[in-house]
Amino acid sequence: MTSKSALLKVILLGDGGVGKSSLMNRYVTNKFDSHLFHTIGVEFLNKELEVDGHHVTLQIWDTAGQERFRSLRTPFYRGSDCCLLTFSVDDGQSFHNLSNWKKEFTYYADVKDPDNFPFVVLGNKLDVPERQVSGEDARQWCRENGGHPYFETSAKDATNVASAFEEAVRRILALDDRADHLIHTNTVDLQRKTPPDPSCC
Amino acid sequence: MAELQPSDSGRCTYFFLYDGSKVKGEGDPTREGICYFYPEETPLDRQELLCGQLAGVGRCVSELSLSPVRVLQLRRNKFAIRMKDDFFWALGCSMDVPIVSVCELLDQLIDLFTFYNGSIRQSYQLNSQEALAARWAQYLSHLQSGSSELHHIFSCLRTIDSTNVDPLLLLKAALILQACQRCPLVLAGCILFRGRVVSTQMFPELTMKVMVHESETYTKAPRSNGQSSSSPSGGAVSSTTVFLTLSELQYLQSAPVDKDFSSHSTPHKDTVPPRKTRLSRTLSDMASTESEPSDPGSPPSPQKVSFSPDSTFSPVPSQSLEPPFSNGKHSHEAEEEALEESYYHSFHSNGGGGGGGGGDTSVFEEDSPLNGGRGDAACGTVFDFRESRSGNEESRDDEVQEEACRGGGVCGSTGDPLPPSPPPLPRSGALGDPEESPLVPMTLYMHRVKGLVLALLVELHFLSDTAATEEVYHSSLASLNGLEAHLRTISPGPPGPPGPYFFSHFDCIQSTLTTNLSGGPGGAPERPFVRATSLLHSHFCNTETLQEAIIRSAGAAVYGTRSVAQETFFQQHGASLRNSGIPNHQDSAFSLPSKARHRLLKHGVNLL
Repeated sequence: MTSKSALLKVILLGDGGVGKSSLMNRYVTNKFDSHLFHTIGVEFLNKELEVDGHHVTLQIWDTAGQERFRSLRTPFYRGSDCCLLTFSVDDGQSFHNLSNWKKEFTYYADVKDPDNFPFVVLGNKLDVPERQVSGEDARQWCRENGGHPYFETSAKDATNVASAFEEAVRRILALDDRADHLIHTNTVDLQRKTPPDPSCC
Repeated sequence: MAELQPSDSGRCTYFFLYDGSKVKGEGDPTREGICYFYPEETPLDRQELLCGQLAGVGRCVSELSLSPVRVLQLRRNKFAIRMKDDFFWALGCSMDVPIVSVCELLDQLIDLFTFYNGSIRQSYQLNSQEALAARWAQYLSHLQSGSSELHHIFSCLRTIDSTNVDPLLLLKAALILQACQRCPLVLAGCILFRGRVVSTQMFPELTMKVMVHESETYTKAPRSNGQSSSSPSGGAVSSTTVFLTLSELQYLQSAPVDKDFSSHSTPHKDTVPPRKTRLSRTLSDMASTESEPSDPGSPPSPQKVSFSPDSTFSPVPSQSLEPPFSNGKHSHEAEEEALEESYYHSFHSNGGGGGGGGGDTSVFEEDSPLNGGRGDAACGTVFDFRESRSGNEESRDDEVQEEACRGGGVCGSTGDPLPPSPPPLPRSGALGDPEESPLVPMTLYMHRVKGLVLALLVELHFLSDTAATEEVYHSSLASLNGLEAHLRTISPGPPGPPGPYFFSHFDCIQSTLTTNLSGGPGGAPERPFVRATSLLHSHFCNTETLQEAIIRSAGAAVYGTRSVAQETFFQQHGASLRNSGIPNHQDSAFSLPSKARHRLLKHGVNLL
């Protein structure tokens, strides 16, 4: 699966205005536009990159944070390999809503094993001086909610943006490796390299 | 009726371009002058016969009457005629196609050719006849392809079926276009999905022209369902040179959107000012009122600028067109600005018109964007023209004759040409204007994401401006990807029960059609409705004062009503018609208007 450039779908979720589109744009085109309009529905960009010797194509899905766009965005959660939960460090409410976003994602993405699904948490707008959410609070939330990695980013200054997306890729790859590993050890290998399919047993 | 071939009746039977300059002397063979003839397999002597007859009669009548021939009838065909310098075009359709539609089709065809190739004379000097023949064939087949007969009757834009599309997605499309306009080299654009308009900033005629290139690139590109869109390489981007008339260009540039745009930080606000609240539903309206099954909305924003000059011709239509201005007034200051600007324009053109020498031409220039650009502005302007051109008694005669033909079906077989008729639609577009006012080359830029296309009219040097191309490409790519994903996942849904009635609603301003007809090639039960619609549309176009009409046969009655902005046609099924042949107030046909008003409300058609 990881031998040639695999397409990995990651999705950015979080309240409206926390900077999801800006993070995507910063990462893919290295540009920042402070006058972006609300995202309507979903958008996505592809970026090819190499992480730990793996060539992957990252397909980054940016979503509309506002509640009124909910029905437009939720159909696109399916098939995600990783979810980037985003809040803004200058907006406490956006931080408190993280668990709602996580819930919405697991529900609509129909995640088989939510406990092991890779989430990455991003605290954006690090450049804004007035913080409402401390790094410690955020890290604590991540620990208590499944040990998600946490990154403090600034799409405006390009701080930590690339590392956050690269971490998402690492998490996906790690999960794949583990899945491969599990297949090889825990199943009777009737057909080499074929993932276990309940219908064929 | 039995002799009609429903599926073909809207189609062009003949089309040719004849260059009279090649046939001057007595001994010159007619075939020398035939630049293109459709159907191409027509035997050459038959081609010569038709070209010779029509060109001869056309010329003769024009010289006798000192006005250009617009329509000729020959046997069972109705020919729209255009003459320009030594060039002579004729396009023939069967007799049951309304004259307006035939003329419109020919104008569109010539407009298309000019748009992609520049002036006729020059393109025949620069290119081989074979190469250009392929283009004529391409444009002709494009104009006739795919759409229903109703689309042919109204010559309207093909739009996405907005009943299943979340209005927010239409807003999204409009915002993508506006974002592109932040680049000053971008004039206007449109977004198409699988050959249908999602959103457009151009006037309908221009959008129609752009769509030809879109369908061309679509058929050329192998359908890759994979990741063709994912590569940021130039693969998905193409461009071609196109030619706008000066008036079209002025018209695009006059859009207030362009100037204001960069200064506004909220594009949403910008969508509002140039649009009318009543005549065309705005995108912001759509976001709020879902009940409107409105279409993607070609914002006829700058239209009002060019409407107002019409007041120099006849006050009536422009009065009825003004309410949209004032409707728009209530919400934004920006609108008032736009408003003032349009008054400014009209003031100017009025001044020009009244100011003695050269006045006429200036009025004409102001007016021509309408003609070149918008046949559909029609109902308003058609009549302007008639009135302005000396209140034309001739035209009335023609209408009568046309009606007589329909009624009796007699004169079709005589082969006598009709006397020169006035322009049925004021789209002089490809004819006079383009060459009198020079053509301006522009670039048509296209960015395709699978079935979705962003088409932009840009300045010629846009492509060499790397910063500009990258800005436009990158600012729109993510949104285009997303919009494509959204539109692709919309299932067309079952067409739903046809309902106990047929209706079709034509928006003259946006040139769009809403109908509950299946659109397939003439289902038998739809035939009478389509025919009646065709006939009524023709009457509406020819008779300015006609507002409502009911047309009936023994088995069916169709009601038609129109305003400056729209035409609506309605037929109730199953109602047994009580009709003894004598006018009778109990005749159920008379209940059609109220039925139409009630039934069509849920389709967003308000006839109240």
